[in-house]
Amino acid sequence: MSDPPKKTFVITRFDPDVDEVPKTQSYEIAVDPDWKVLDAVNYIKDEVDGTLSHRWSCRMAVCGSCGMMVNGEPRLTCKDSVSQYGDTVEITPLSNFPVIRDLVVEMDGFMDKFKKVKPWIIRAKELAAEDGPVRQSPEELEEFKQFSMCINCMLCYSACPVVSNEPEFLGPAAIALGHRYNVDSRDEGASERNAIFRGEGTVFSCSFANECSEVCPKNVDPAAAVNQAKFNAVIDWATGLVLPSGEKE
Amino acid sequence: MARPAHPQAMQPVKPGRTRTAPPTMPPQFPMTGRYRAYTLFDATGFLYLFVGFVALRVVWALGTGSAAWANIQQQLANPLYIGFHVITLAAVCFVAVRFFGLFPKAQPPRIGPLKPPPGPVIVGMLYAAWIGITVLMSAALMGGIS
Repeated sequence: MSDPPKKTFVITRFDPDVDEVPKTQSYEIAVDPDWKVLDAVNYIKDEVDGTLSHRWSCRMAVCGSCGMMVNGEPRLTCKDSVSQYGDTVEITPLSNFPVIRDLVVEMDGFMDKFKKVKPWIIRAKELAAEDGPVRQSPEELEEFKQFSMCINCMLCYSACPVVSNEPEFLGPAAIALGHRYNVDSRDEGASERNAIFRGEGTVFSCSFANECSEVCPKNVDPAAAVNQAKFNAVIDWATGLVLPSGEKE
Repeated sequence: MARPAHPQAMQPVKPGRTRTAPPTMPPQFPMTGRYRAYTLFDATGFLYLFVGFVALRVVWALGTGSAAWANIQQQLANPLYIGFHVITLAAVCFVAVRFFGLFPKAQPPRIGPLKPPPGPVIVGMLYAAWIGITVLMSAALMGGIS
């Protein structure tokens, strides 16, 4: 039986207590062809260098924790096989994010943007429990279902050239989430969110690079959400000009 | 090595206690991988700017008199001008094809009771309009429509 193939993993390291700037460290390990990239990083952590820090949890592309740049592309490392890469695999922390340690990025900025879009159902008047559920047809569900599949892996932020340059930009996942509620037939808060979409961090900063949708591991298509949100934000603004406040819903 | 991103990119509102390394841009940006098409798409704006200047110059010559008009026609026959316009035509085609591909998904699921047609139908309508307008303008320029 032949030896398992070896690959070199070039991994970015950063210790905030010691390093001024991130550096790289190479690890040559024997890899099982069935491994995912995350398995290789876990192997390095468990068997070669216990000081390596990275995030992961479910190993089945559901939790969205293990996003990293693999050979320059934002990838969910539990989804990519090591066999799809060459002899050298470069792993760096997600682009566009401050780095806390090694492959661990600062997520609080991302969560701050999420809160801004009010990602919950807003009702003008809450229904009493005895009124029963708010019914929704399969067609109405279909209008937003795709956008509710986001797992918050942040790959879209890592790929977006606007996020790199405009810190206020709400970004793909947050806008997709806000838009998901705007097109939900049970929601009545679209005007509130559209005002947010037109304000600081505006959806109009998006230049439709479409990279967010290209890298999305769940096929959410955030670029579609962002550009649909632009359209709705304009319609909402124009409607507000001709209709008295409160009559748009 | 990736270029630095804006130092405030994805920074939290309340900074954490740990010192962080500054964010970097996607390493493939702007001219590697899929970013190349996006960058070229945006860069075609420079060509349209120059075409705008040429158009203004042509209009100015048309209003100045027959000598100026003959002169500008002679200049536009220069191979450099023709080359520039061929490149611009290629840029317009590239932008149109990319835009037509992305346009359907920018349509909202509905406006009031109205739903947009399926994506392939929208793309077909865009190409039909593009071809129709091109044929009409070509016919007009060649004297087929007076």
